[in-house]
Amino acid sequence: MSQIKLNRGDAVIWLLAAILLVGLYAVFWRVDGHGAEAVVLVNGKRWARLDLFQDQNLDVPGPLGHSHIQVRDGRVRFVNSPCPNKLCIHTGWLSQGGEVAICLPNKVSLQILASDPRFDTINF
Amino acid sequence: MSRTIQTTRDDYLIAGFAALAITIHIAESALPSPLPGIKPGLANVVTLVVLCRYGWQMAAWVSLLRVLVGSILIGTFLSPTFFLSAAGALASIAMLGLLFSLSRALPGWAVGPMGYGVAAALAHMSGQFWAAYMVFVPHSGLLILYPLLMTLAAVLGVVSGLLTRTILKKLNRTPSGGNPV
Amino acid sequence: MIKTFGYIFWAFLLVFLSACERKPVVYHEQLLVFGTVVDVKLWGVKETPGQQATARLADDFAYMHNAWHAWQPGPLGRVNQLLASGESFTMPPSILPLIQRSSKLSLSSNGLFNPAIGKLTAIWGFASDDPPKGPPPSAEAIRAILDQQPNMKDIRLNGLTMQSNNPALKLDFGAFAKGYAVDRAIEMLREMGINNAVINAGGDLRAIGRHGDRPWRVGIRHPRKAGILASVEVEGDESVFTSGDYERYFDWQGTRYDHIIDPRNGYPAQGLSSVTVFARQADLADAAATALFVAGPDEKNWLPIARAMGVTGVMLVDKDGQVQLTPSIRGRIYFIPPDGNTEENNTEQTSPGIHISTAL
Repeated sequence: MSQIKLNRGDAVIWLLAAILLVGLYAVFWRVDGHGAEAVVLVNGKRWARLDLFQDQNLDVPGPLGHSHIQVRDGRVRFVNSPCPNKLCIHTGWLSQGGEVAICLPNKVSLQILASDPRFDTINF
Repeated sequence: MSRTIQTTRDDYLIAGFAALAITIHIAESALPSPLPGIKPGLANVVTLVVLCRYGWQMAAWVSLLRVLVGSILIGTFLSPTFFLSAAGALASIAMLGLLFSLSRALPGWAVGPMGYGVAAALAHMSGQFWAAYMVFVPHSGLLILYPLLMTLAAVLGVVSGLLTRTILKKLNRTPSGGNPV
Repeated sequence: MIKTFGYIFWAFLLVFLSACERKPVVYHEQLLVFGTVVDVKLWGVKETPGQQATARLADDFAYMHNAWHAWQPGPLGRVNQLLASGESFTMPPSILPLIQRSSKLSLSSNGLFNPAIGKLTAIWGFASDDPPKGPPPSAEAIRAILDQQPNMKDIRLNGLTMQSNNPALKLDFGAFAKGYAVDRAIEMLREMGINNAVINAGGDLRAIGRHGDRPWRVGIRHPRKAGILASVEVEGDESVFTSGDYERYFDWQGTRYDHIIDPRNGYPAQGLSSVTVFARQADLADAAATALFVAGPDEKNWLPIARAMGVTGVMLVDKDGQVQLTPSIRGRIYFIPPDGNTEENNTEQTSPGIHISTAL
């Protein structure tokens, strides 16, 4: 194989390509445990998978009624729920892998999935 | 108004190149791949050679012909594989067009096969990947593959650049029409 | 030839990929049993054996929940009725181990953990599925029960029969049953050959083994604010149980009354927001968390109890947000500042809110 001769334009492109590659690893291989996805369980069964990169609202049906869940800026939380104690709402925003919020009376639970989660389990 | 199409030697070469690209494309379709439609992109070498010898427009034609005819022959026309191929090809053509214009505008910084090879490969892979992600597999777990695939594309881009240069050298030994670049 | 090249090429890529990205081999399932959400994670267990294991766990938990339920009809309800009658009766096998174990724990906690005060729990309104609204019971009603001093020592065990002379005695294992159930569940997993798992029942957990090549990562929620207060790594065999004033409570005229009753005065324990206990046995951790919560924030009160119960890992958060830690926890725990970034071992410099207790 003949030696690689780069002219100036090629050198610029190679440099940009190298910077791009490093950047891609930095962006897509974040290991800070931030979740990319959340999963909604109803009655212990998977009901929906939410992409945390996409802002959205959804109503999850449970025995007591609808629990309202909101995704915004990579975080997710219960906004409204037909339970008496509203503990699920008080849990607040979830963002880290492993974090959970549960509405026990309505049998709805929310958990952040991450390939390398910050937490495997939450004590409370 | 009819016009007799005067076929020059270049036309034969372009047809030949297109046929070659299509053949390679079909051969590549026999390879297994992690995602539908993601291939090493060796057919890009043909596109690059045409780009360096005959300019961007011809290269664009060869590339599009490759994707269209290739998919018809394989039987994947309008299938997901086709769309991914097309996405990759379009992205690659666009990138090459951009670099080609810049090279003409700034001759001191003109890009050669090595640069085109890497740029086209990265653009091609990106086009395929994002088409796959947005349309077919919107699974955020897929995103982990992107840096790896792009690294791969960069390596292949270097290889295709080298191949292009070798081929161009060989072609320049045989007399033919003008070299616009 | 191109095909071979293709295969080798992609094989190389796949090997590269698999080396970088660990395929998650955690079987994860949430069981809605035992009146709560039991979150089960099994490391290195595939789909089918995982389902079998959790199905058995679900059955076991359902059985235990029914057997030990403090107020719904079941074996414990019958036991309470018979105890109140003063007659001697044959005890159901599901209840005996609970009584024996909790008696020992009650003794070592100096009575701060007392499952015999079911009547007090009931008059405060916590013996029901619906949260109580208040008002608090009258001082006389409390006094009436308190004076009779219901205690585990009032239960006379004679072979297979039991009897009590104290009509104020009513068993409520709410502060302990969960821990005990988790212990049985872990035992069952071990019998099935599963040695790396986490069972989290409504926030209280026991973890055994590791998460593959790293320990289990446990996040401890802040008792008052949303978000995580601290994180800790757990491996080998450890339970993490928290008693808090935020679990079941009611507010009445500006005061919060939570469900953990102080057996000495008949009123909900005051002073602490939460107590987290680290111990191997879950039933010990559960009972100790309750006992220490009752003991209150003063080290002179809670430290001797922890010592007597054989517990060396304790974290207490009082109502002002001040944290107390035992030395064994200090080195392991990472507090997460409000902006969410973990600082490496930031308990080296004790911030004003964290106090390390004297050694146990």
